[in-house]
Parts: sequence; structure tokens; C-alpha cells
Amino acid sequence: MAIAQFVVNGLLVGALFAAVAVGFALIWGVVDIINLAHGEMVMLGGYTAYWLLSIATGTAEGSVLLFLATLPVVIAVLFVLGYVLQRTLVSRVIGTDIFLTLLVTFGISIAIQQLAIQAWTANPRSIQVGFADPSLIVAGVVIPKMKLVAFFGAIVLTAILYLFLQRTRTGRAIRAVSQNPEAAALVGIDVEHTRAVTFGISSAVAGGAGAFIATILNIEPQMGLIYTLKSFVIVVFGGVGSIPGALTGGLLLGVVEELTAGLISSRWTLAVSFTLLIVLLVVKPQGLFGTGADE
Amino acid sequence: MSTKDDTGLLRSVLPPERVDQLFDLCGTHSWKLILLSAVIGALPPVFGLREGYMMTVISEMFLFAILALSWDIVGGQTGYPSFGNMAFFGIGAYTGAILLKDFAVSFPLAVVTAGVFATVFAAIIGLIVLRLRGHYFAIATLGVLLAAQQISRNLEITGGASGKILFDVPPGIVFYYFFLGVLVAEIIVVYYLSNTRFGFILNAIRDDEGKATAMGFNTTYYKTAAWMLAALFTGLAGGAYGLFNTFIDPQTAYNGAWNVELIAMALMGGTGTVAGPVIGAFGLHTIIEYVETAFVGWQLVLLGLAVIVTVIGFPKGVVGSLREYANEMDYYERGGMAATDGAADGTDAATDANDPEVTTDE
Amino acid sequence: MSNTPDTDEPEMTANAADAVLRTEGITKRFGGLTAVDDVDVEVHEGEIVGLIGPNGAGKSTLFNCITGTLTADEGRVTLQGQDVTDWPEYKIARAGLGRMFQETRIFGGMSVRKNLLLAAQEGGADIGGLLRRPDDSLLERTNELLEYVDLGGLADTRAGRLSFGQQKLIEFVMALMAEPELLLMDEPAGGINPSMLENLIDYIRTANDEEEATIFLIEHNMDFVMEIADRIYVLAHGERIAAGTPEEIQNDQRVIDAYLGRE
Repeated sequence: MAIAQFVVNGLLVGALFAAVAVGFALIWGVVDIINLAHGEMVMLGGYTAYWLLSIATGTAEGSVLLFLATLPVVIAVLFVLGYVLQRTLVSRVIGTDIFLTLLVTFGISIAIQQLAIQAWTANPRSIQVGFADPSLIVAGVVIPKMKLVAFFGAIVLTAILYLFLQRTRTGRAIRAVSQNPEAAALVGIDVEHTRAVTFGISSAVAGGAGAFIATILNIEPQMGLIYTLKSFVIVVFGGVGSIPGALTGGLLLGVVEELTAGLISSRWTLAVSFTLLIVLLVVKPQGLFGTGADE
Repeated sequence: MSTKDDTGLLRSVLPPERVDQLFDLCGTHSWKLILLSAVIGALPPVFGLREGYMMTVISEMFLFAILALSWDIVGGQTGYPSFGNMAFFGIGAYTGAILLKDFAVSFPLAVVTAGVFATVFAAIIGLIVLRLRGHYFAIATLGVLLAAQQISRNLEITGGASGKILFDVPPGIVFYYFFLGVLVAEIIVVYYLSNTRFGFILNAIRDDEGKATAMGFNTTYYKTAAWMLAALFTGLAGGAYGLFNTFIDPQTAYNGAWNVELIAMALMGGTGTVAGPVIGAFGLHTIIEYVETAFVGWQLVLLGLAVIVTVIGFPKGVVGSLREYANEMDYYERGGMAATDGAADGTDAATDANDPEVTTDE
Repeated sequence: MSNTPDTDEPEMTANAADAVLRTEGITKRFGGLTAVDDVDVEVHEGEIVGLIGPNGAGKSTLFNCITGTLTADEGRVTLQGQDVTDWPEYKIARAGLGRMFQETRIFGGMSVRKNLLLAAQEGGADIGGLLRRPDDSLLERTNELLEYVDLGGLADTRAGRLSFGQQKLIEFVMALMAEPELLLMDEPAGGINPSMLENLIDYIRTANDEEEATIFLIEHNMDFVMEIADRIYVLAHGERIAAGTPEEIQNDQRVIDAYLGRE
């Protein structure tokens, strides 16, 4: 029964990993950039929700509805941030050496991280969402209600993104730019703007996921890099262009981490995640060679 | 990327041919220059600088120069920019600390063993990650660094998350000369290699690995050799660092921020050169040291901004940009146009305009 | 598996002595498409052999199978009497196969001289050779070759700064530095202007006469290939449809059809 509990815990958290990874994959696929500051967007999303709630209630506590009400603001703030970052900084290195693009986003990552420490100290924080009856018990498995909310929140974020890309005009423009920027420009798409919008959407989804993460786990200024790397693991597993792949990868990673934590020790979860990354790269190198690494 | 167009003032103050002469001069007297720098580096203690803040700062400058130059062997010379070089440093630091503390090994032996362990580790990891390119290589190396950090955090022998405190620390002057010695040795090795066939092959891998293979080079060997050489020097520095700092834990031994710092140093000085990373390390460390004391807690913000500004405005670094500036004159002066294929003016201009992208892409 | 002696086929032994390159039944498929279909070619010492055919005929794929960049699905490649079919690319190159690429590939970040030195020292892989500085005789040979193609003044310039035509010449002299048993050239005349083309023909001829270079080249420029090649192979839809001297090829009805049918 314990195993079932770990698996359920893993699936609940894994959906959040997946939502973060989907945003990461979006920038990778469309702008051909590995955004090493992606995890910082998760962190900033978490803090934005935290402070909004603090302003509203005086403490970082509140009802589910109040928490959900902060989400549109979080998403808007992070969208603008992502858009501006792409427009002002990242766009300047697109098409140059991959190494330079990595460094720019790495630079953004450490600057934001340190600014966050300056602003909010390095202490972990979390949002307390109140429920009269905090957990469901289904067939002996305990399901905290907030985790369930976060799970569906993450699924909804991912689904909205998916529909947005498939159904809207902007979504089609994004897909066009991802497939062939020159051709997209020829048919009148503003490539620069589209890329910035992509960056903004990616950050917004990451930020939304970050807000949910703040309710079930801790947030702290230095959490970002871990989420970036988890996203990389998930995307490598699921394939760069695939939202269902990312979803599967995220859920799996969540399960692996919870099983590690439950069966071995929670201290080993990160070591396992990062080792998994290296193992994946070893096992699947042929599949990985082509994309982005082509000269 | 834009240094070529707006050089009017620069041209009159410092004409390219002067810069070119300077490079020629440095080239002819390179060994004397290295010797002279080593002697100058060795002087401060002779004139009474034996302890205190300055002593530590200068030792750290040597240390960072070692790390930046090591990074550049693979990142700059071979074109495989690693985000995980600090893994070698951490392996070295823990090897040194464990040998000193738990096995009471002598300092020199501990340091040498640290270097060897880091090199062996690099050989094994290299077989895995050096098969990857681009994004995958960069992230895999970052993954190696973080995995190593996490593993050290969880093992008994490494002291877990609380790390290791070291006692019986030799006087600062020992570290001063140790780091200086390793740095000078590394400069000599890297400079020598850059003029051998081995060095040429590394550059060839950076510029076009497929072509290098087509020319008959088994590039895996050379990449791995370069990677191990980088690990050796980084591991040696790490081996001494535990004692120098009197303390290591997973955060300091596998310091991710340092990893960015040493890349930034190589980049600002000029990747793919010998002087560049060293100059970059001295320069950036001085600035960081200043910011660290004057504006506590803001040094990483500054580092992040410095990296962004360098990458966007100045990706060839100090030495690289100067060399390009000198070389540009060279090209026209020595009949670059005259020797072209007759009516190829158009082609020529086109190649020139595309040039920065061509070189960075390759 | 690379030890299969080539002398299994007695009727070939007369030619085997001077066949630098021989392919037998090379076939390469990509999914459902057969890019190269059962192609035999032979290049003898001292020859210049042309390989022509309409776009998509499989010429570059055949080259890639010979150099080991791709592995043929069927057939053997023999270089100097050695079966090299399953060898890795770098090993085939070291066995004496030089290659010039269609898109011209040189090492843009290195000086012109270093490009040449690198090419020259290709032979040995021992540690001593790796760690020695290039000796005077090599430096002399680099200067000689650069003078030969009128690029003597640019030895210390970064190769990436040169014009396309100059880069092509550099790639050519790099190939000569290596003194390969056989040099494969993929469209050497592509993208260069007519006056340069004249020079290039001279250079290739001289290399063939004086340096005894054996050359196998893909070319689209018919005047060029007819002028320079001793023999020509024609590929269409992956199949070898003709072989012979330039005169024979020019009068071959199937070749004319293949080209006209395409255009």
C-alpha cells in the first residue's frame, strides 16, 4: 500500500513538473534556446502568488478561491517579464553560438536569483491554503486536497497551452516560426514579436506552476536551477516538440522521485534526478544528436 | 560583434598595425614574457607580503586563473563549453580533504592524488558526455556537477551536508606559491600545446569536427585528452583548496556560481587564447572582490549582468577582439583583395559581412 | 571482418595492382528510396575520374559511402587493395583518402598556415608527433603550396576571413598537403567565377602531373569535367548508366536522355 501512496504522490507532483517542462520545451522548440532562467520564472511565479496573498490577507494564508484569484495576476506578470527578457536580451544572441545563448540565460538566472535573495532573503517560504478537511482518503491512499487542486491546475495550464497553440491565430504563428522562421517572415508574421510572445507564454505557464508549487512544496530564491534541470530531463525523455511526451515525462519523473524519497530517503531524490539525466543522455544519444546540435 | 564599424577614434589612437606589431612581439618573446610574469608574480612575498587580505586575494586570483584556463582548454580551444568544470574541482577538493583529514596523508601527496582522481573521473565522464554536442553537452555537464554535489551531500565519507573542517593549515605563503606554480605550469603546457599538432587538432574540432574526422582524426581521443588535462589542473587546484579555505562542503566544492564565474573570465579575456582567460580571471576577480566588500550580497547580480553584457556586446573578449582588429588590417595590407579571384569583390564583401556568424556558428 | 582478402576474385588481380579505389555493388537506401543502386566504380593510379549525373542521382551519397560518412547497405569498398567497407570514417581517411567538400570546409578560426600544417601532419598519430612543433621542412612546404596558389601573403590570416574562392583554394592545397592516395572532390568548380576556374583547372592538372595525385570528382560544370577528366561515370536515379572517356559520354544517348529528361 505504501508503494501506491508514493506513486500517487508522484503523479500529483509530477503534473507540476510537466507544466514547467512544457514551457521549457516551448522556448526550446520555437526560439531554439535552452532557457537556463526557466526555473527562475517558476520561483518568481511562486513569490508573486505569495506576496499577493500576503497583501490580501496579511499572512500568506487563504482559501482556495482566494489563491486561485491570484493566478491571473501571476500569469500576467510573468508573461510581461518573459516578453521583455526575450525582446531586450535573448533576441540579441539568437542565431549565434549556442554557448552564448546558454550564457545569457545563465546570466539572467543568477542575477534574478541573487536579486530575490536580496529582496526576500534565502529562507524557504510556502503558501498555506486552508481546507476544513485537508485530505481525501481513497482506497487507503491519502490525497491532500491542495495537491489535488495543484494537480488539476497544472493539467489545466498545460491543456490551455496546448489548445492555444492548436486553435488560435497566435498559436499558429508560433508553430510557423518554430518550423521555419524565414518562411514565417515571408508570409507576414512578425518573427521577433512571436518569439517574445512565446517566451512570455512559456514564463507565464512556469509562473502559474510556480504558484501551485508554493502551496504544496517550499519556494526559495535558489530553487530555480533544479526545476530547469528537471525540465530538461523531462523534455529529453518526452521529445522536444511533444506536449503529451512532456506530460508523460513529468508524471514519470514525479513518481521516480517520490519512490526514491519513500523507499530510500528524500535526501537522494535530486541525486537520482540528475543521474537520470545523464543516463538518459547516454542511452538515447542517437535520438538526441540531430536537434539543435547540428552544425 | 560590432567592434569593426565604430573604430574611428580607436584607429587614430591605436592603429591596427601597432596592435599587430604588439602581437608579433609577444609571439616572438612569448617564453620570456611567461618567465617575466612568473617572476613578477613571485615577488610580492619577497617584498614583505606574507599574510593577510591581499595575500589571500592574490592567491585566489591565481586559483581562478587556473580554473579559467582549464575551462578554456575544452571550452575555448576545443569548442565544448562545459558548465560542469567545477565537478573536477569538487572531486579534487574532497579527495584532498579526505586524505589529509581521515588518512593523515602529507599535503603534497594529497594534492597530487586529488589531481589524479579528478583526471580519472574526467576520463570516465568524458566517455559519456563528450559524445554529445551543443545544448545536450552543456546540460549534461551541468547535470554531472549537480549530481556530484548531491552525492557528496549524502555520503558519510564526505561529511554529508555539513562538509569537512580542516586543521593544521600551512601558512598562506604555501598556497600563494602553490597556486602560482600550478598556474605557471599550466600556462607553459597550454601555450606549448597550442603550437603543436595536438593543439591544432583541438582547434580543428572546435571549428568543424566533421571535417577533422574526414581528415583522419579520431576526435574522441583528442577531446578526451583535452578534457582530462583540464581536469588535472582543476583537480590539483581543488586538492589544495580545502586546506586553503580550511573548510569544504558540497556548496563550496561544487560551486555552481564559480562555474559561471570562470566561464565569464575566459569569455571576457578571450576564449581560445592563452592570455585571455588569465587576464580575464585577474580582472573579473578584482572587480568581484571589490563588489563583495563594498556591496555585500550583490556580487552575483553583478556577475550575471557582466556575463550578459559580455556575451551581447563583446563575445570575443579583450584578447580576441584585439587580435581580430590587428588581423583585419593584416588581411588588407598583405594583399587580401589583390590576391582574390579577380571579380570576386562581391563574394568577398558577402563573406566579410557574414563573418562573425560564420565563425561563431562553426 | 575487414580482413577479407581482396584477391578472392582472380579475374580482378590484373587490375587490382593499380586500382586505387574500387566499389562493388554499392547500394544505399533511405527508407523506401534507393539513393545508390548497385554501383561499381574503379579509379586507377594517376587518373582523374569524373562522376556526373542530374541532381539527386546519388553522387554525393556514393561519395559518403566511400568515405565512411555513411555505411552502405550492400557492397564493398576497396582502397589500395584493402577492404575498408566497415571502417570508421577517420580510419579510411588515414588510409589515404582525402576529401574536399561541396560547401568548402576549412577551419575558420585557425590561421591559414595552421590549416595546412594540420593537413600535412595527418599521417602519424604517435604521441611524439602530436607534441612536436612543426619542423622547417613542413613550414617550407606550406609556403611553397601557398605561393603556388598565390595566397602566400595570407598565411597568418584567420582562414574564416578569406573569400569563398580563396577558401576553396585553401581546401585544395590542404588536400595536397596530406598527399592522399586518392582525392575525392565534390563539385570543385561550384560557385567560383570563370577566371578562377581556369586557375583551378591548371592547379588540378599540375597536381595530377607533378604530385601524382589521383582524383575522383563530382562535377556539374560539363565543360570543366570534359576538359579535365580521363574517364567519366554517369549516375542517374542511383544507377550507373554509363562509363567511358569524355568523348564517349558526350555521344551516349542514355546520358543525353537522362539530362534532357530531367530538365
